[in-house]
Amino acid sequence: MENSRAPTDAEVHRRLVYGDESALAAAYDIYGGLVRRIALRVTHVPGAADDVAQEVFAHLWSRPYTYDPQRGTLRTWLSMLAHRRSVDWVRAEERHRKAASADEAALHAIPAPGPGPDEAVVDMERALLLHSALAELPLPQRQAVHLAYFAGHSYRQVAAELGIPEGTAKTRLRTALRRLAETLAEPPDTAAERGA
Amino acid sequence: MGWDHEGVRELLGAWALGAVPPAEEPRLLAHLAECEWCADEAGRLHDTVRLLDGGDPLLAYERIDRAATGEAAAEERTDRAARGRLLDSVLGQRPAAPRVAEHAAPYAAAVAGLEALLRELGDKGPWSTPVVHDWDVHATVAHLIAADESLALRLGLPARVPRAGDPGRGEPRDLSWREAWAHRTDEVIAHERTRTPARTVASWREQAAALLAAPEAHSAELAAQATTLLGVRLPIADHYVVRGFETWIHTDDIGRALGRPVPTPPDAHLWRLVRLGVRVLGLALGPQAVPVLLTVTGHGSEGEWVLGSEDEPVAAELVLDPVDFCLLLAGRYDPGEVPRGLSGDGRAARSVLERAARTAWL
Repeated sequence: MENSRAPTDAEVHRRLVYGDESALAAAYDIYGGLVRRIALRVTHVPGAADDVAQEVFAHLWSRPYTYDPQRGTLRTWLSMLAHRRSVDWVRAEERHRKAASADEAALHAIPAPGPGPDEAVVDMERALLLHSALAELPLPQRQAVHLAYFAGHSYRQVAAELGIPEGTAKTRLRTALRRLAETLAEPPDTAAERGA
Repeated sequence: MGWDHEGVRELLGAWALGAVPPAEEPRLLAHLAECEWCADEAGRLHDTVRLLDGGDPLLAYERIDRAATGEAAAEERTDRAARGRLLDSVLGQRPAAPRVAEHAAPYAAAVAGLEALLRELGDKGPWSTPVVHDWDVHATVAHLIAADESLALRLGLPARVPRAGDPGRGEPRDLSWREAWAHRTDEVIAHERTRTPARTVASWREQAAALLAAPEAHSAELAAQATTLLGVRLPIADHYVVRGFETWIHTDDIGRALGRPVPTPPDAHLWRLVRLGVRVLGLALGPQAVPVLLTVTGHGSEGEWVLGSEDEPVAAELVLDPVDFCLLLAGRYDPGEVPRGLSGDGRAARSVLERAARTAWL
């Protein structure tokens, strides 16, 4: 699988490097849906998918040397980049919202009461913590999670794609998930700080 | 028979992520039913994945990457207008290689490739990393300003860097083209040393853009006229190919120095460089040389040429990869070390390789 895909990624990369705009269109047609779905999964905001897709493909096109086909598939690289940018997008939105509500509070000198945190909101916040932590995982673990979680690969396929033993793939997935689970168990302040 | 505790424990991360093949699941579940520790851990990791899904049960295990799992992605296509807007906006951030006639396409692509590489250095990047000869990255770009200049001047474009020798002293006519060219390179490098790398890159880019905007880059007819530049008389079209060749080679030099592998040019461009290289090599060897059959093969094509005398039987056969052939011509390979297939008279073949390496002027 890796062998049949690698030349294709290398070819797309080569065309991107040499300024062939048809390679950008091809990459978008193949991976645009993936990038948008990842953005939606993290942000739950349909409009964010446009922003994230725009950023991800602008990065691929204007800085093609940041992707090295010898170090992994374009699919996984774009998946990780889309995820990272999606987490950043939500964090930036949060900052804007906080700044806006602070302005509002100062203007009206009335503390914003806001609704009590219902379960869905708490879940969303915890989800964001997890996605932040996922974006911070060491590369080998992050690659494995992206292949299993976003690409729907079995641990055997993960091992084949990354060229590692199956036992190593299992360990990486388990270590990664344990790390994410620990993020939730930590006091919210520390977890938020690290995730931010 | 159930798996041992250790075996199942290792699998729990994969299981929580839905990454355990269905055939392995019953044995895993059987162990969970009898092992409290594993059941707790499985629950915890499973909850973690549920939260990654945003806590929305409808999203649980919905595969994000449907193409990867073979599901139809047709309905996922965003509308054409959104696609067009996104591509337009992205292309605004880095211009595509300009559309030019075939003979100028390798140069257009090589310029885009070097620009992309230099972007990675930013303003404060490793511009003083040694690259080739005694040039660092900054000086290598300055050299390209000098190298592209002879074609630019021939096409009536202005010199980007003042010529210290003009007009009072005049061009020293007794210098060989190599000496004159080396002198001009030194002059341009010295000038560019007083400027920032960003300004040097801008000068190089502007000159390259002017070369690619010239009518000769767009018309095979206009580019058919032969002219002598850098010691070799070729149609202007081929001088564009030489520009592409040199730009790629120096990009590759910089990439090696910075530890960033530079992809080889697109096959069609690479083969254009090979064909020109063979012609230049044939001229350099002359019609009296012991004839050698040169086969260049790889990167989607193959070509055979007899170099040297047409009146004698072929004395040797040489087989080279197109990239290796180009690197040899560029002086980036020692003739004794370039990977090659060889049969027949080793001395005749070796003299071809040595002549190829000596042709280098980059």
